[in-house]
Amino acid sequence: MRTYKLHNQIIASLLMLLQALMMVMAIVSLESIPGWTKQIGHLHPILLHLPIAFILLLLPASMILKNDESDENQLFILFLHYNALAATITALLGLLAAAANEYDQELLFNHKWLSIATALLSHLLIYLFHWSKSRRSLWISAVVITSLIMMIGSHFGGSLTHGEGYLNFSNTKKVSTVFKPLTDSTKIYNDVVQTVLINKCLECHNDKKSKGGLNLNNYAAFLKGGKTGAAFVSGDLEKSLFIQRISLDLDDKKHMPPKGKSQLTSDEIFLFKEWAVRNADTTTKFHQLDLKDTLRSIIEKIVQSSLSSKPSKSYTFEKASEDKIASLNSPFRRVMPLDIHSPALIIKFYLKEKFSPKLIEECKSISKQVVEINLSTMPADDKTLEMLSGFENLEKLNLNGTAITGAAFKQLQANKKLEEIQLANTQVNYEAALLLANIASLKSVYLWNSKVSDKEIKNLQSKFPKIKWDIGYISDKNELLKLTPPSPTNTEKMILDPGENITLKHPLPGAQIRYTIDGSKPDSITGILYTKPFSISGLTQINAVGTSIGWLTSNVSSFTYFLKGHKIDSATIINPPAEKYRANGEKALIDLNKGTPNNLNLNWIGFREQTMKAGFHLSEGKIISKVILSLADNTGSYVFPPEKIIVKGGIDKQHLKTLGSLIPVQPKAQRNSSILPVTVDFTPGAYKYLEIEAINVQKLPKWHPGKKEKGWVFVDEVFFY
Amino acid sequence: MKMEQQEKEFRLNITRKHFLTKAGLGLGGAALGGLLFKDQLFGSASETAMQLGVAQFAPKAKRIIYLFQNGAPSQLETFDYKPLLNKMHGEELPASVRMGQRLTGMTSNQEKFPLVGSTFNFAQHGQSGAWVSELFPHMASIADDLCFIKTMHTEAINHDPALTFFQTGAQQGNRPSMGAWMSYGLGSENANLPSYTVLLSRGRGNGQGVYSKLWTNGFLDSVHQGVVFSSGEDPVLYLNNPEGHDKQSRRAMLDMLAKFNAESFENIGDPEIQTRIKQYEMSYRMQSAVPELTDFSKEANSTIKLYGPDCLVPGTYAANCLLARKLSESGVRFVQLYHQGWDTHGNLEGDMRMQAEDVDRASAALIKDLKQRGLLDETLVIWGGEFGRTNYCQGKLTKESYGRDHHPKCFSLWMAGGGTKPGIVYGETDEFGYNIIKDPVSVHDFHATVLHLMGINHEQLTYKHLGRRYRLTDIAGEVVQGVIA
Repeated sequence: MRTYKLHNQIIASLLMLLQALMMVMAIVSLESIPGWTKQIGHLHPILLHLPIAFILLLLPASMILKNDESDENQLFILFLHYNALAATITALLGLLAAAANEYDQELLFNHKWLSIATALLSHLLIYLFHWSKSRRSLWISAVVITSLIMMIGSHFGGSLTHGEGYLNFSNTKKVSTVFKPLTDSTKIYNDVVQTVLINKCLECHNDKKSKGGLNLNNYAAFLKGGKTGAAFVSGDLEKSLFIQRISLDLDDKKHMPPKGKSQLTSDEIFLFKEWAVRNADTTTKFHQLDLKDTLRSIIEKIVQSSLSSKPSKSYTFEKASEDKIASLNSPFRRVMPLDIHSPALIIKFYLKEKFSPKLIEECKSISKQVVEINLSTMPADDKTLEMLSGFENLEKLNLNGTAITGAAFKQLQANKKLEEIQLANTQVNYEAALLLANIASLKSVYLWNSKVSDKEIKNLQSKFPKIKWDIGYISDKNELLKLTPPSPTNTEKMILDPGENITLKHPLPGAQIRYTIDGSKPDSITGILYTKPFSISGLTQINAVGTSIGWLTSNVSSFTYFLKGHKIDSATIINPPAEKYRANGEKALIDLNKGTPNNLNLNWIGFREQTMKAGFHLSEGKIISKVILSLADNTGSYVFPPEKIIVKGGIDKQHLKTLGSLIPVQPKAQRNSSILPVTVDFTPGAYKYLEIEAINVQKLPKWHPGKKEKGWVFVDEVFFY
Repeated sequence: MKMEQQEKEFRLNITRKHFLTKAGLGLGGAALGGLLFKDQLFGSASETAMQLGVAQFAPKAKRIIYLFQNGAPSQLETFDYKPLLNKMHGEELPASVRMGQRLTGMTSNQEKFPLVGSTFNFAQHGQSGAWVSELFPHMASIADDLCFIKTMHTEAINHDPALTFFQTGAQQGNRPSMGAWMSYGLGSENANLPSYTVLLSRGRGNGQGVYSKLWTNGFLDSVHQGVVFSSGEDPVLYLNNPEGHDKQSRRAMLDMLAKFNAESFENIGDPEIQTRIKQYEMSYRMQSAVPELTDFSKEANSTIKLYGPDCLVPGTYAANCLLARKLSESGVRFVQLYHQGWDTHGNLEGDMRMQAEDVDRASAALIKDLKQRGLLDETLVIWGGEFGRTNYCQGKLTKESYGRDHHPKCFSLWMAGGGTKPGIVYGETDEFGYNIIKDPVSVHDFHATVLHLMGINHEQLTYKHLGRRYRLTDIAGEVVQGVIA
């Protein structure tokens, strides 16, 4: 037989010690003990569950077990010891906790002494068990009494921390009031100040529970103040604790309301101060305040903002548990409350391929709370509607872009609160829409881009005027819009290998593209109809338009394509270009990278003070008869075609002769910027070195804002053929 | 140094945060207490006064689309009709009106400040009788859905600080952007997309830059940073799998990476690592969510006509408006558009025409499109720039052209949907279009109002950083009740 004797003895002596300590602490004031010891008291709410559970277990155990020292009872005796120890330690911690916080004194008194009694009785039970072997009824009644005292004591404890009535089963709600709209009879204290106090302070400072001895429920009690001093001192805001405490930093221990409770807004703090400055007066009415009075504007602000931030609707059903909501949330199904206080929930679904009707079915456990379901763009079909009938409080249903046809709309008649249903982009037709009209609560139906026609909508509207039938914006059939122009699929690649294809595209599905390669402008009937990619045989400007029935033909878009020429070994720039426009040096001329005429900072080399002059080495000895310069034309930025281009050639730099020259046509007015390819033909020959000079315009024409100034020449690439 | 040794030293390198965490968790009792009484035992861990991830009160708007008109469109050529300026065209701006207002370096040296009237005609529209210039016929057609505020004013007189002020509530550029605050306060609605996205377009007028500091998360967690959707073949850069990699191999790579990251989180405890893990997972899901959003080929023909044919050209304002609607519809909390080109210092007439042509139709289309889908009541749309423009001419006033400099003291913007009062004009400016005479709205007030519409008290959405609590509205801001329905 094992008796745990030593074990029990140790616990018993420990109990003696602790209970003596407990009695001392219960009688002596603990206000002055060090702060960290009070902190230990925070463990009280955790440990208290042990004695509660143990003592409740005692009840059935003492019914079953006989009071003897049989083997099986040895363990029970050990248990009795632990029970007493748990009750005592819990009580000790409770006393520490009480020292750290300001609780309702009456509740605290009851809780404290009943709990101490529980600890003492638990201790007593150990001896009683041995002593009452033949008096079973005495033993059982002792256990029952201990349990009762524990339960009553715990009840007071629950009320202390969770507020009175927490453990009552009657439905008492936290008192909160709303502001009444401002009228002539609005009193500053009664209707405004008092309302803020009720909402933010009275939870802890009321007639029954007055933390710190402060009761804010009536004016007389307010003036009296609390344990630490007067809440209000006339003419001295600094000394008015009521103002002092609310002005402290949120992290300050004395800050009111305590951290974690609903805080005063800065307007409300301002209100209290302004009111205190006016001697905390109780008689003034709102309309007596001067129009420019700051108190007046602050009251207006507080009342109006509270009226406008009021929940749009209050619901009577209870909140779903947070665990339940959390378990239903996934990246593909979001369950959200309307706001932090509201029991109402919204469900929204995401990612088509992850959707299945099962996702709705799983939400049955919160069907009461759901007021909005958003299935927009999900592959939900008519069958899905069956699952919605259980959602009795559903108000808003978004089915935009779903596969719903409306054949099963009858199902929705079970949703007696449904107010709004979105059916844009669906196959819903007139017959289906008629089924909706039977839902008495329905207020608006969105049917844009459905199978319901203009005329039918008018019909629905006149038959069921209580519902707003919205078909959306019908485009004006007479309004013709101009298409955007087509473009190549790859706008970066404007230099092609011989035989390489050009692909054109237009963003509007079904639009046709017409193009020309001879410089003429195509329109909806002229030009080549684009059917497949094509290649070019040399420098080509492609002009293209997009056309489609019901649209105006687009503007012409132009793209200049170059063919790759002979390979150049190296290039040298003879005259230095402008500091700002050097691209990546002479390489830029032969690197097959094109610039765009609107951005002269990239890939372009610009010349103004001196002419553009560059040399090119070709070692291959191919016959060359033509050079093409790719220039920019941007008159707005002073970039003009050169006055003259001169091409010289020979076997090397020392043996050059002029091969050809060209005088480009100058613009007559400002024009849109573009790529300007200039071709110079000359006597064919196997030149190893060619030198090109492009002389920039020396005096801009009179029509130009920069008349008489020098023009620019910009070049991004040179090709030899 | 050998790798092993390096690793050893790395592990020994304990940070303060690491030490506190480990030490705290090591003490069994303390740990339990730590879970239950975190604040009392370890000091405050909460940086904010409100519970995050959920509205504080019933929100009127669930999502925002902000059509930012970058460069500052002139209020005098858009919505603030001032016939007096036409009457006094060419006359000097009275000093009694200017009252010593600070000018930019561009006009402060001007000898004369000739008043200049709008070259565009104005007319009243809708039941509200709002004045709208002839440049914006489509916006005018929906005047009764719009809530015009004519009395915006700001503190900054140059683009960068003004833009930064509008986006972050401060001019300096070290604070989180509006969208980031929204994401921080309300969380993400759709976990497969970022909660804050940014779309950029460039108009044909005189442009001003936009830069990533405008959509920064500032001191908030980097998940709240704005994600730019660009116009190229890859709308979200680096989202697609590189060539030769399929979905499976990407999954395997991410799983392995997540393992490594989890290990290093265990070692270092930097919360940014967990952010990163989450971001990788979201990007993986974005691979499924994004292509559908950026594919416009399934849009109804009537939608294309509504927004105008430009909406099919990626990177245009119209395309961004359409994309904004799709993103918003898919649960992106804050879609920020920037359209450049409104900086009309000179050649105002031509530039304004081009700018208006590019934005008018699509802006109005967005409102109509949201409305016909039943989404306007829950989506707040905002249209406006960073400041206004002067009522006097910048440079020489000629018969052919004029320009207007920056003006911070009054300018117009409009809001629509999301719980704003439709069909109203809020506030009044003086006859010169220079000062506000009734109901001024500061940028802080504007922010407070927008947060309010989203169900957030602007004073409670805070973040503690460098020893103090920050708000989007800093220490100012009042909700403008007059624009709330």
